[in-house]
Amino acid sequence: MNWSEPQDVREWLSRLFSLRVILLAIAVYSLALAELRFDWVEQMLGAYLARTNSHRPQSGAIWEKGKETLTARKTLEQIVTDRQSTQRLARGAETLSEIAEALAPSHGVMLSAAHFRGLYLELPPAVAGDIASPFELLRIQSTGRWERTYFRKFGRSIKIFLLDMENRVLRELTVPPDLLGRLEQRQDFSEGVLEDFPRLKNRIYRAGRFFEALADQPEEIRRSILPAPERILALSRPITRVGVSDEALTGFVDIGLEFESEGKTMVMVLQARDWAVWRLRLDLEAAAAPLPEETEIDTGGTL
Amino acid sequence: MSVAFGLLRKLRLLFYLAVLIAGIAAAAAIGLFFVVLEDLPKIPHPLSRIIETPPTEIFAADGQRVMVLGGREAVPLSRVSHHFINAVIATEDHRFWDHHGIDKLRTLKALYVTLFKPGKIQGASTITQQLAKNLFFSFERSWLRKFKEMLVAVQIESSYGKEEILEAYVNQIAFGVGAFGIEQAAHIFFGVPAADLTLSEAAMLAGLPKSPTRYNPYRHFERARQRQRIVLIRMADVGYISPEDARAAAQQELVLEPLRSSARSGSYFLDLVIDSLEAQYGAQVVYHGGLKVFTTLDPQLQAWAVASVQDGLATLDEELGVLKAEAERRPQGALTAVETRSGAVKAMVGGRDYAETEYNRAVYSQRLPGSGFKPFVYYAAFETENLHPATVAVDRPVRIPVVGARDWEPQNFSRRHRGPMILKRAFTQSVNTIAAQIVEQIGPDAVIQAAQKCGIQSPLDPVYSVALGTSGVSPLEMASAFATFATGGIRHDPFWIQRVEDAYGHVLEERIVSGRKSLNPEIAYQVVDMMQAVIENGTGEVIRRLGFRLPAAGKTGTTNDFRDAWFTGYTPTLSCSVWVGFDREAGLRDRNDRGVTGGRGAAPIWADFMKRAFEGEPAREFPVPDNIRFTPVDPSTGMPAGPSDPGAVQVALRPGQTPDGRILGSPALLPPGFDHRQEEQ
Repeated sequence: MNWSEPQDVREWLSRLFSLRVILLAIAVYSLALAELRFDWVEQMLGAYLARTNSHRPQSGAIWEKGKETLTARKTLEQIVTDRQSTQRLARGAETLSEIAEALAPSHGVMLSAAHFRGLYLELPPAVAGDIASPFELLRIQSTGRWERTYFRKFGRSIKIFLLDMENRVLRELTVPPDLLGRLEQRQDFSEGVLEDFPRLKNRIYRAGRFFEALADQPEEIRRSILPAPERILALSRPITRVGVSDEALTGFVDIGLEFESEGKTMVMVLQARDWAVWRLRLDLEAAAAPLPEETEIDTGGTL
Repeated sequence: MSVAFGLLRKLRLLFYLAVLIAGIAAAAAIGLFFVVLEDLPKIPHPLSRIIETPPTEIFAADGQRVMVLGGREAVPLSRVSHHFINAVIATEDHRFWDHHGIDKLRTLKALYVTLFKPGKIQGASTITQQLAKNLFFSFERSWLRKFKEMLVAVQIESSYGKEEILEAYVNQIAFGVGAFGIEQAAHIFFGVPAADLTLSEAAMLAGLPKSPTRYNPYRHFERARQRQRIVLIRMADVGYISPEDARAAAQQELVLEPLRSSARSGSYFLDLVIDSLEAQYGAQVVYHGGLKVFTTLDPQLQAWAVASVQDGLATLDEELGVLKAEAERRPQGALTAVETRSGAVKAMVGGRDYAETEYNRAVYSQRLPGSGFKPFVYYAAFETENLHPATVAVDRPVRIPVVGARDWEPQNFSRRHRGPMILKRAFTQSVNTIAAQIVEQIGPDAVIQAAQKCGIQSPLDPVYSVALGTSGVSPLEMASAFATFATGGIRHDPFWIQRVEDAYGHVLEERIVSGRKSLNPEIAYQVVDMMQAVIENGTGEVIRRLGFRLPAAGKTGTTNDFRDAWFTGYTPTLSCSVWVGFDREAGLRDRNDRGVTGGRGAAPIWADFMKRAFEGEPAREFPVPDNIRFTPVDPSTGMPAGPSDPGAVQVALRPGQTPDGRILGSPALLPPGFDHRQEEQ
């Protein structure tokens, strides 16, 4: 028998209902009741877990989904950034060659029809004519349907799609690699003399005589020969000689303007409408005999 | 006395034992708590972030949203019917507003049942615990998972208000049939926003999360109804509604919305769109990137296409004597409708029932087109040999030697031969022997080139029989290729995605509608004219009998043993191809063992669809190229005829072509007085 064991019922009861036991029971009961009523254990646990939340791993289904969403967003952001960057470059481009450089193989760029027309007008007429006839563009513009222009790289070429509002292609233009190379020359300037250009060397006139004859032509012919005379005016040096090609290509004839610039002789090549050049040539050839220093050889070439 | 002492001793022992067990349990719980603490997931803040995954939305051509992929349609609690909130609380966790994540009494009861009543398991998860489980844990049943779930639940309760928890919960519940969140569920099941749910509807929806499959009202309506009654009783017991309201709601008629494509893909067209998107951007971007996808689908045409295919196949079932229950014995069908001037796919049906089989026969099925391939044969002949519709050919037995194989001896469908006839008639009557003579003359490569120029991309065998459609193609290819004839030879590749944007409206891609001049427009028109004759008085005249009156052109196709029945045809604006047949190796034969041809099996579906699609539309004629002239000719001799001559056939001729009785394969003209009946004998 345990020496501390109560010896009788009285002692059992006195121990059972002692102040200490009663207080303990009340305390335990109160704690249990408070837990049931106020959820203090959960509150404590919850508060502790909330405090340590930031140290715990982002695991579980919702976080996995979140990660996938994040990755998807990053992927999309990358695609959008690439496209926007190309698009921004294209929208800020002042020449077609800048657009050609900005184009990525994976996606094209979209510009307004007006923007494309602006770029087109900036091109040397020969290059512009090789991309599309201005009259064809006028025809398309007059339909009132041409709203946007889409550029896309195809191999080493560029395709230009003139689109209506519903993205239907009104006209598809191709800029082959050789033409792309010419795009980079904003003006057709070359160092050299007219004689260096086989197509121009047969008909060379003194500038004064050429421009006098041109001034005598009706406005329509003048504009057909020099649609943008301000570009020539912008040259800082006077033009010395003018060469006229014997060959017509897609309705245009090359005209070379020779001038001195910073100690070098330069030639600027323009394109003029063939029928207007023909009229001008009649006047040029009907005028007085050539000056001794002029080289004028009529090979009988056709325009 | 000693008995009382003994009892007291035992009670004391028990008390100490209980204290010891409680102590061990508490110590174990505390120990376990610190063990699992490291593994507990971090809880996002704010809690609404859990439903922030942007959905990828797919739109039809008219701007209607036809599908939402991934994401959740989250709504604030203020936009959820209070009936639904009450129903969920009454059913799932009626002490939700009082506890702190764990319903201890229910947990103890569940523990007792689970431990002491073998075979019985009682759940006690509160709404917060269910939320914790759905967000962070797998559905594996284990004590450890349960313990973690309880801990996360108490943290959620400590960090967020009851409304926030409830809002997160109702926005992520799975209701089945692809519906996640109450807003989506309310739209799918009842076609209303969550705010407008009635008591009866709310009770039905609140009952589904317990087992979305078991209580799916589309499949087990009565079972779902029974579950709804239990929810209503619970609501009355808890005091949210009166017993009278519960009874009234239980008796209220419930009309479910038709299960639409937004529930899951539910549509062959949308499957195709999703496949294309996944190929382009990857599944992760498609399901989690929040794309906005603008497709070419015309929802109205799509609905009519589905109805036409289902009605047509139901009629075919009757003719074949197939019962509805014999799913495997029922024929399948596919339809594709393409806008001719762009190639935009406007409607697509890949089978009779998406729920039965998701295999898209309109795109992926490579079925033999039979005579449906003849337009390419005739185009090639007109182009390479300068033949024309008035050229004469003789319908006779044909034997074509094939190197290294048996001679090819094609037969006519009728097994009869009708002697000389102009090519236009041979085409409209689908005479196989004449098509075989043509391919013998021009070679199979010319036919293949013509088909490819029109847009056929499936591999084609360079054999003579290609003229009779012995290489498999899909209805999408056929509709698209025939559209090239409709546009006078301008080929548009088919497409189904117009534009893709990210969630902020940045354009990721947009379709440039570009056509390529593939065919000579005058020759293309000659073929169109012959295909119009197919519908007017050829193998496709059933189209007119069924009431489709607008200008149209087309061609029937039937393969050996009636395994495939086709009709592909077009108006100037819409090209449509219909195929019917079995997935298995079997022919379409009716109760009387008569074979089902393209004109009988597919053309009625085509006619029904086109009648619906063009109801009220004006007649648009196919544009005739300037150089084409029409001449009446004798259909047997190919010689000019008077316009009033009985039986004279109008043919379309190109410049330099004259109806001179020229015979296929021979420069000779038919002799005067030639009697083809003698020839046939």
